Amino acid sequence: MRNTILQGLNELIHICQMELKIIFHDEGVFIFCILVPLGYPLLYSYIYVTELMRDVPVTVIDDSKTALSREFIRNLDASQWIKVVGYSDNIPDARQHIKEQQTYGFFRIPSDFSNRIVKGEQVSVGLYSDMSAMLYYKGMFIGATDVSLDMNKKIKIERAGKATDEDEKMVVSPIKSREVALFNPQQGFASFLIPAILVLVIQQTLLLGIGMAGGTAAEKGEYSELVATSRRNRGTLHIIFGRAFAYFSIYAVQAAFMVCVVPKLFGLTQLSQGLDLMLFLIPYLLSCIFFSMALSILMRNREMSILVFVFTSVPLLFVSGISWPGSAVPPFWKGVSWLFPSTFGINGFVRINTMGATISQVAVEWRALWLQAVAYFVLAYMSCRTIIYRERRKDKTELREPFM
Amino acid sequence: MHQGLPHDLPIGVVDLDNSSNSRTIIRTLDAMDLLKVEEVYHSQSEARDAVQRNKIYGFISIPSGFSASLQAFRRPTVTYYTSYALLVPGSLTYGAMRKAVELVSGAAVRSQLLARGATENQALGFIQPIVIEPHATFNPTLNYSIYLCNTLIPGVMMLLISLMTVYSIGSEVKFNTARYWLEKGNHSILLSLGAKELPYTLAFFAIGFFCDYYLYGVMKFPSNGGFLPMLFLTLCMVLAAQALGIIFFSLIPTLRLALSMSCLWGVVSFSICGFTFPEIAMNGPVQALSYLFPLRHYYLIYASQTLDGNSMIYSWSSYMFLFIFILLPFIFMMRLKRELIHSFYIP
Repeated sequence: MRNTILQGLNELIHICQMELKIIFHDEGVFIFCILVPLGYPLLYSYIYVTELMRDVPVTVIDDSKTALSREFIRNLDASQWIKVVGYSDNIPDARQHIKEQQTYGFFRIPSDFSNRIVKGEQVSVGLYSDMSAMLYYKGMFIGATDVSLDMNKKIKIERAGKATDEDEKMVVSPIKSREVALFNPQQGFASFLIPAILVLVIQQTLLLGIGMAGGTAAEKGEYSELVATSRRNRGTLHIIFGRAFAYFSIYAVQAAFMVCVVPKLFGLTQLSQGLDLMLFLIPYLLSCIFFSMALSILMRNREMSILVFVFTSVPLLFVSGISWPGSAVPPFWKGVSWLFPSTFGINGFVRINTMGATISQVAVEWRALWLQAVAYFVLAYMSCRTIIYRERRKDKTELREPFM
Repeated sequence: MHQGLPHDLPIGVVDLDNSSNSRTIIRTLDAMDLLKVEEVYHSQSEARDAVQRNKIYGFISIPSGFSASLQAFRRPTVTYYTSYALLVPGSLTYGAMRKAVELVSGAAVRSQLLARGATENQALGFIQPIVIEPHATFNPTLNYSIYLCNTLIPGVMMLLISLMTVYSIGSEVKFNTARYWLEKGNHSILLSLGAKELPYTLAFFAIGFFCDYYLYGVMKFPSNGGFLPMLFLTLCMVLAAQALGIIFFSLIPTLRLALSMSCLWGVVSFSICGFTFPEIAMNGPVQALSYLFPLRHYYLIYASQTLDGNSMIYSWSSYMFLFIFILLPFIFMMRLKRELIHSFYIP
C-alpha cells in the first residue's frame, strides 16, 4: 500500500518535471506562461497609471464679455477637469480648433448671461464636446456642473442676503445632498480596469500556453509518451495532476506578483485581505488550468491556440460586466460568459480587491469557480483518455509512425 | 449592448424616515429609466454589504426625521453612496440619483414659488441661475455602442488580418514550401508576396466593406464623412494590418514567435490607441509608443473623418503614418527573401 502511494507520487513528480521542462524550453510556451504574465501587468499599469483625464483642453466663446462671464471662465480653468486654452469668436472658429485636434470641446456663454442672472432668470451655458472619447465629455460635464453649482450657490446667497425672510433660504433648495464615494472615490481608470486585466491575463496566457503545448504534442506525436505512462496504474490521473501541478506552481508565483507587487508599484487601490485573496485565487487558478487542459485537446498544431484564443480576450472583458454593467448584458451573452472562469474570476476579484469584500460576500463566484474546476477537471480527464485511446489505436494500426 | 445605454441599474435605498416624502423619492428613483430600486434596506451597513455582493451598484440614504425637517424648513440632507469600482455603472447611477433628488426638491420649490405668484421663468432662475446645456456632438444620447464598436470591430479585424498574414507566409516555411513558392513567383519576392497576399487583401476588404455597411448602413451609426472616404480608410486599415504581419515575420522569421508578437501587439493596441482612456492623459513615453500601433491612426482618422465629418485633409498626418506602415514591407522584403531561402522550420 505504502509502496503504491510512493510510486504514484514519484510518477506525479516525474510528469510535473516533464511539463516544467516543456514550459521553460519551449520558447512559445515560455513567452505566454512566464514573460506575458510578468510583462503585461506592468505595461498596462503604466499605460493607465495617470488614472484620470484631467485638463481637457477647450476654448470658450464669450458673447457676454462681462465680469460674471469672465468669473465663470476663470472657474472653468481652475477646475481640475478643464483647461481653457483660449477664446473663440464663434462656433465655426471653435470647431476649427477641434478639427486641428488642439481642443476637444468648447463652451458658449450667451450674450445675455449677466443680464439674465441679475434679472433673476435662468441662463444656460452651452457645452459642446467631441465624442471621440467618452472621457472628454465626462470631464467637461463634471467640471462645468461643479462650477455652475458653486456659482449658483454664491448668487443665491447674495440674493438671500438681501431678503430677511428665513424661508427664502429654504426655498432655494429644500433638500441638501452629498455624495459618499465608497470605492475608488477618485474614479481612477487604472484602479478600475487593472484588476480585471490581471485576472484575464491569467486565464488567457494559460489557454495560449497550455494550448500551444498540447498542439505541439499533437503535431510531434509526443502523446505516445502519455500512452506509456497511462499503461501503468491510474496513469491518467497522474498525468492530469502532474501537469496541473506544474502550471499551478508557476501561476501561484505569477498571481502573487500580480496581486501583491503590481498594485504596490503603481499605487493602485487594494482593500483586500491576504487570506481572502488566496482563498479566491486557488479555485480560479485550478479552473483556468483544467479549462485550458480540456480545450488543448482541440489544438491540432502548435500555432492554432494563438489563432483561436486571442480573439476571446476583448469580448470576455465586456461580457464580464466590468466595463458594461453586468445587469445590462444580454442573456445569451451572459450564458456564454458563464462558461469562462474569467467571468467569475473578474467579478469576485474586483470586489475583493477594490471593494474590500470578504470571501463570504463573493460566495456565488467562489462556488461557481469550484464547480467549474470540478467540471473542467472531468472534461480534461476525458480528453486525456481520448488522446490515449487514439494513440493506442494508431500504434496498433500504423505500427509506430510518430511523425504523422 | 445594442440599446446604447443600460436600463434598470439596480440600486438600493436606506429609508430611515419611512414617510410619504421619502416614498416620493423612492418612487421617483424607480421611475427613472436608468434605475431600478432593488430593495429598501434598514441600515447603511446592510446596503453596503449588498454593494459588495454585487446586488446593487449604489444606494441613497434618507435620514430619520427627514420629513419633519423638511416641513420645519431645516433642509435635511440625503446622501448618495456610490462605487466607482465599476466606472460606468458608478457614474451613471450617481447622475441619475442626483437628478431624481433634484426633481423632488425642485418640484417642491417650484410649486411654492408659483403659489407666491412667480412666473415659471422666475422660478427656474431662482432655483438654478446657471445651468449647463450639454451637446454631445454627433452622439447626443451618449450611446456606448457608437463609441465602442467603431474602434473595437476594426481593432479585432486588424488583429485577425495581421495574424493571418503571418500565418500565410509562415506556413510556407513550416511545410517547407517556401523555395517552391519563390520559384513560382520567378524568384521575385515582390511578385510572390504580392500574389499571395492579394486574395487576402480582397477578402478582408470585402469583410471590412460589410462591417462598414452594417455599422453605418444598418445600425445607422454617425457617418458624417461619406461612405467613400470610409471605404478608403477601411482599405488603408486592411493594408496596414497586412503590412504589420509582413514586418513581424521579416523581423522574427519563426512562425510561432511572429504570431505571438502580432497577437501581443494587437491586444495592446486596444488600450494604447486611446479610445477608452485618452492619449493626452497618458505618460509621455506611452504617447510616443502609440505611434507604432496602426489602430491608433485608424481611430484618429475615424474620429475626425467619420464621426465629426471633417474633410480628409485634417487627418493627413494619421494617413501618412498608415502609409508608412503600408510601405515598410518593401524595405524588409529582401531580408524576408533571404530568410525564406535559408529557412527551415524550427518547431
